[in-house]
Amino acid sequence: MLLELARWLAHDIRAFNVFNYITLRAVLATLTALTISFLVGPVMIRKLTQYKVGQSVRDDGPQTHLIKAGTPTMGGALILVAIAIATLLWADLTNRFVWVVLITTLGFGIIGWVDDWRKVVHRNPKGLSAKAKYFWQSVIGAGVAVYLYYTAASPAETQVIVPFFKHLVLPLGAVSFIVLTYFVIVGSSNAVNLTDGLDGLAIMPTVMVGSALAIFAYVAGHLYFSKYLGVPYVPGAGELMVFCAAMAGAGLGFLWFNAYPAEVFMGDVGALALGAALGTVAVIVRQEIVLFIMGGVFVMETLSVAAQVTYFRYTKKKYGVGRRIFLMAPLHHHYEQKGWKETQVVVRFWIITMMLVLVGLSTLKLR
Amino acid sequence: MKANRTVLALGEAHTSAAGASVMTTPNANMRFWIITMMLVLVGLSTLKLR
Repeated sequence: MLLELARWLAHDIRAFNVFNYITLRAVLATLTALTISFLVGPVMIRKLTQYKVGQSVRDDGPQTHLIKAGTPTMGGALILVAIAIATLLWADLTNRFVWVVLITTLGFGIIGWVDDWRKVVHRNPKGLSAKAKYFWQSVIGAGVAVYLYYTAASPAETQVIVPFFKHLVLPLGAVSFIVLTYFVIVGSSNAVNLTDGLDGLAIMPTVMVGSALAIFAYVAGHLYFSKYLGVPYVPGAGELMVFCAAMAGAGLGFLWFNAYPAEVFMGDVGALALGAALGTVAVIVRQEIVLFIMGGVFVMETLSVAAQVTYFRYTKKKYGVGRRIFLMAPLHHHYEQKGWKETQVVVRFWIITMMLVLVGLSTLKLR
Repeated sequence: MKANRTVLALGEAHTSAAGASVMTTPNANMRFWIITMMLVLVGLSTLKLR
């Protein structure tokens, strides 16, 4: 929105041309989202507390978490508001990728909102049924996949890029592209949701992975950099840097209130939306495999749940008594049960993510 | 004799924040990290803004 204004003003005052730079608008989007989070955050927490929108804590979880019962949840709405406003202010709104990512994020946010609302306000412990949740996630995920495939302007936009291999590119047909895109978006959405179990655990890796994707988006949207680094050129993808930057700013602003001991939780409204946002950006900039590497913490958390449930069911069927691989799933609870403090688990998982993001970024050069 | 006065509840700033019972230690840590990240961003933006 402000870009249009700046371009109009630049006819008379040339200094306004500076807003044409994506990098500058990305920095401004970060600061805008952060400021919105700081301003709206305390008000939102007060309102959520006032309306008793408090998180219920699973009674089969760690005992140390019982004191968290009643902490306001649905704080993810704060993140979404900050991202939406900052993106609408600073991104080029004629860019179709910006709208795809924004609509996907808000769409998944609505699914999470309905789920949270039913759980917390209507006191319905089931919330949105698993079937309904996956149905709506699938509708949006598949819709985005179909749209991206049929609006692809070049073959590069539908190829899978294998990191570390310069010439290994897998062209995808309609079905394989749509299936892959669907799984990346829906999978990353649910993976972030599963990770969101400790104060600050989900948001900081989201900020880090989102920031790295901002760099990938910038490179993919830049004719010379993409050619120099050997990554697919996706015209218009650079504008996603503004969205990712807004996500990073909103995430950091949210972390201010979500740091241990959290004043507010993200809820499904935030977790599902942020995961979907990461997946969609990764698909557009053709870095699905790199997302898998950088989001290793999300992947580990998801696999730990899948392995725990599968092994438990298998052993129950075979021996009559279910056995467990981990002391508790998802993985962060396992380490808590082993005696790590909550803040230790959180910061150590952040450190792992930092390392994985570094590995992901190294794929820009190492190929 | 006049009592000594202090600017902060405790020096240094992190002890003041945590000691004033507004923040816990992890709270103070993470918020100081967030401030640093923002300052780094401002620092990096000087690459372009000149």
